[in-house]
Amino acid sequence: MEKVVIIRYAEIHLKGKNRNYFERIFAMNLERALKGIRHELHRTSGRYLVADFEEGQTDEIMRRISRVFGVHSYSTGLLVDADEGSIFAAAKTFAPTSGTFKVETHRGDKHYPLTSMEINARIGGRLLDAIPTLRVDVHAPEHTVYIDIREGHRALVFGSFEDGPHGMPVSTAGKGLLLISGGIDSPVAGFMMAKRGLTVEMLHFHSYPYTNEAAKEKVVALSKILSEYSLVTRLTTVKVTHIQEEIHKKCAAELNVTLLRRFMFRIAERIAARVGAKCLVTGESLGQVASQTMEGLTSSNAVVTLPVLRPLIGFDKEDIISIAKKIGTFETSVLPYEDCCTVFLPDYPAIRPKLSFIEEEEKKLDIEALVSEALESAEIIRF
Amino acid sequence: MIYFDNAATTRPNPEALERAKEFTEGLFYNPSAKYGGGFSVRKQIETFRGDLLRFSHAEGRYDLIFTSCGTEADNHAIFCGGRRGNVVTTQGEHAAVFSACTELKNRGVEPRFAPVLRDGSVDVGALLSMVDEKTSLVSVVHVNNETGAVNDIAAIAKAVKAKNPRTLFMSDGVQAFGKLDFTLPKEVDLYAVSAHKIGGLKGTGALFKRKGVAIGPYLFGGGQEAGLRSGTENTFGIAVFAYAAEKKFSNLRADAEKLLAFREKLAQGLDPEIFSRLSPESGSPYILTVSAAGMRGEVLQRMLWDRGLCVGTGSACSSKNRFSRVMTACGYPEKVLDGVLRMSFSPNTAEEEIDSAVRILNETAREYQRNTQ
Repeated sequence: MEKVVIIRYAEIHLKGKNRNYFERIFAMNLERALKGIRHELHRTSGRYLVADFEEGQTDEIMRRISRVFGVHSYSTGLLVDADEGSIFAAAKTFAPTSGTFKVETHRGDKHYPLTSMEINARIGGRLLDAIPTLRVDVHAPEHTVYIDIREGHRALVFGSFEDGPHGMPVSTAGKGLLLISGGIDSPVAGFMMAKRGLTVEMLHFHSYPYTNEAAKEKVVALSKILSEYSLVTRLTTVKVTHIQEEIHKKCAAELNVTLLRRFMFRIAERIAARVGAKCLVTGESLGQVASQTMEGLTSSNAVVTLPVLRPLIGFDKEDIISIAKKIGTFETSVLPYEDCCTVFLPDYPAIRPKLSFIEEEEKKLDIEALVSEALESAEIIRF
Repeated sequence: MIYFDNAATTRPNPEALERAKEFTEGLFYNPSAKYGGGFSVRKQIETFRGDLLRFSHAEGRYDLIFTSCGTEADNHAIFCGGRRGNVVTTQGEHAAVFSACTELKNRGVEPRFAPVLRDGSVDVGALLSMVDEKTSLVSVVHVNNETGAVNDIAAIAKAVKAKNPRTLFMSDGVQAFGKLDFTLPKEVDLYAVSAHKIGGLKGTGALFKRKGVAIGPYLFGGGQEAGLRSGTENTFGIAVFAYAAEKKFSNLRADAEKLLAFREKLAQGLDPEIFSRLSPESGSPYILTVSAAGMRGEVLQRMLWDRGLCVGTGSACSSKNRFSRVMTACGYPEKVLDGVLRMSFSPNTAEEEIDSAVRILNETAREYQRNTQ
């Protein structure tokens, strides 16, 4: 009898002839997530088993697996020989001491001499004999003992399913560059794209001394949380102070934010080329703030050729907050260190800036020089 | 780096650290231990206690309770001195007093906050009008830590006692102790101080308690400090405190005179088009608070740090707690509150540093203006 963690995967079965490719990457991601913990990862048909680990590491293994996209569900269980005695012994450890229960068997190995119903009846019967306070309820039991007969005369026995994060294995969809601020939205956007299989590199803009080191540390902390899902541990930071000052000095005040965002997108595209990202990802949500109107988004898109993915575009703030809470970034996001100092904020930002007006105002700036200067400030933080 | 944030904390006095080293080496014993080693440490602590009382001319009249910090001393005085009726304090208090008094509400005691004047000193008339027969404690900060304004606590305490002789009077003396030439008058019952503002270490403070004043302990346990403050004594910290205080008190008047001249030199050197002075001339020589109205103190502070000048500020870029509570109570408009900078000195401050600071402050503020206007 051996303790194992059983991992079932999500959408990979849809992938037809590419299934092998997806499974290989999924296994690699599981290995990366479990780095530093002694274990063996076995692939059986339709499942992965983590075995040979120390009992005390079980919770940490479960926690890490809960963040690997592609995991449909996972359970701690016991791997035993598929004879009735061994299965019963394992089933007993998952059986409750009172209340109602049922046994549910799944036969992966169709050559097994007993049918699922027969196994249910035999193991259920023996459990009833062994624990007289139990009662059977096959329709709405309080507890279920699961038996999964596998090939090679082995069986998995377990007591519950934990819901996994679902989605596609990270990196099966290529690499993207997330523009991450210290706010609530962008980490959620990164999470959602990682869930669709994107490897997420991160890019943060700061404007020291108008913003402070604590704000940057906050972004590092958010990136760390996100890195558990996206399995990337790299954050690039770029200083845009001079750009902000130049815009403030030379251009129409109501376009401050619009123009800054265009610079951010230009810089992001260059950084994307450096890190090999094929798209940009932002946490923009339509209409949330003045720069996230149709016109605002259009004006940012106009300066880049890479696709810009905005997974939160149709989300309400409450929806975003509830995901942020679920993935564990909310508490860090709401720390009171702002990534954008109000020094440069206009009283009334333009809500529907015209592209022609924007381009006219931008002519007052040496765009290429400012972008190059900002790129020189790029720092890479690995964690 | 020119360090002008001495009101936040001072560089520990290296001489004091050196002299106190024996308490981390040979004399590491627990002062409560009954064998020889414990006894010698106990004796030394009593010597340090006596020294601190003597430096502050409080010998024979006050007891001194060592605490873990100024905040603890303040909290001890407030929670153990203000146990019923109402407690009167000011809007100019340090958070250690202000928040403790706010908490009194949850303990069935009514806190009353007297307004402050423009310079941060308390409106004495208003304060006295709040004192009544149910006032158990009055707390007035000695030197306002944000503006340097000095409250005449001797006169205020006397007036409070005249109104209600049973009221205890306490003062937070953290920015005054070892800096102002001051003798505790008999009307001041409790006086909280801190070591790290005068060359001692963080983690050491003390509460002066006038003899005969009966307050209970704030921390319970092994009964150290005559039962008033349990917990094994921070012997090294206490030693550094006493040695640093010895140095500080020996030169107190000369230091104050020198720094007064420095403070004025700095104030006069600042570009009057940019900076306005918020500290009163009658305030502590150790503190000069100014405002660069329309600028962000926190941003200026970081720019100054990068240019080799370390100062304090009363504002933050954060939308939460953007303005200092105390400076807001002084009644300044938002533009002024945004640009608050506090320069605070130590006896080690050199005249050349003042000259450089004037230059750096003016240049940096002008650069800020250029970049943001």
